[in-house]
Amino acid sequence: MRPDVGGATEALLDRARRGDGRAFEQLALEVQRPLYRHAARMVGHDDAEDVVQDALLSAWKSLASFEGTSFRAWVFRIVTNRALDRLRSRRRRPELPLDPPAEDDDAVGWAEPAAAGPELADLAADREALGVVEEALATLPAEQRAVLLLRDVEGFAYEEIAIITSTEIGTVKSRIHRGRVAVRNILVSRGWKGSSG
Amino acid sequence: MHPFGDLSAYLDRALSPEARASVQAHLDTCAICRTRLAELRGTARLIAALPMPVPSRSLVPRVSAPVWMVALRTFSTLASAAAILLFVVSAAISSFPRAQSAGSAPAAVPAPSAALDAARSGATSASAAPQSDTKYAAPTSASASPFTAFNPLPTSPTPAPAERSIASDATRRQDTGSASPSASIGDFAVAARTSSGTEQPPFNPFPWLWLVLGVAFAAVSFVLGRRLRSA
Repeated sequence: MRPDVGGATEALLDRARRGDGRAFEQLALEVQRPLYRHAARMVGHDDAEDVVQDALLSAWKSLASFEGTSFRAWVFRIVTNRALDRLRSRRRRPELPLDPPAEDDDAVGWAEPAAAGPELADLAADREALGVVEEALATLPAEQRAVLLLRDVEGFAYEEIAIITSTEIGTVKSRIHRGRVAVRNILVSRGWKGSSG
Repeated sequence: MHPFGDLSAYLDRALSPEARASVQAHLDTCAICRTRLAELRGTARLIAALPMPVPSRSLVPRVSAPVWMVALRTFSTLASAAAILLFVVSAAISSFPRAQSAGSAPAAVPAPSAALDAARSGATSASAAPQSDTKYAAPTSASASPFTAFNPLPTSPTPAPAERSIASDATRRQDTGSASPSASIGDFAVAARTSSGTEQPPFNPFPWLWLVLGVAFAAVSFVLGRRLRSA
């Protein structure tokens, strides 16, 4: 189901590794929109195009040193790193971590619904609910947001996310959970209760 | 104690079998955790359902070489090979009469000035001799090319002093007649064979012209090849 499981992608990757620019362009064409989607939610639409283009160019230049099998995971790693670098450089004190160390995940607070409202599962197609989710994601610490997007939007497994973000799998698990709870809390505070299954 | 911290990983099937079984057992008895799990599932679905933003331009860097560059490189490589082959062939043809008339070689020494003369007048009318006159064709094809002037090749057979007037005669004739380069090569080939009998091996710039062309095409091919590899 993943685009890079197909033999065609593998053959393209093989050709691109041997210096075939056209094969690389085809590979990049397949992932450019997901990469842009990820980057846009990380750094905003204005910078996302530059981040993706730079990342793809850098991927081409270092393709010979790439030894993995998932081109998609690899370019997501480059884009995520570039996006985080850009966010760090925007800050006044870039040396501070974007995501403070986790406390006990069991202790993460669950906001109570402010009032009865439509159920979350019914709101998947609701523009308003999706707008709230976008807003909520933007309030998350960047590293948490990156991990949550890689999981829920891009569908990467925890192990893959650990490699993409160069973190421990425990950190991945914790960030996904805290990110989801934070988004859930913002939704609930807007009057929705998400109790359906 | 609610296993809240494991609920997302449970949802994502990222727990070890033992941890998963333990969470499952708890969920069977705890309505709060079932509610939290449902909320997390709903949240994850909403995040997954976010609309896909579209970039305003293509973000794929152009790393492949343009088609014309690839085509030009192929052409240059083939042209270089062909020119060098022609060089070898025409050099072999022109050395054949020389080998036959080796005794007359010393007579051919003061030729460069004659060739220069001829080149000076020949350069103004870049055309070959009338095809019918094979006797004069050889010196003419020599003088028709400006390459003669900067090809002072000591081993090349060149027209003897006696040939001077013939050469300039031939150059005068050129003004009237003209032929395609390939025709003049043919002329030369004929002339080379005929002149071998007359002990006047002609100076022939064509091997060297082919060599220069071959090297030039090889250089173009090499430069394009490097561009293509670095692209």
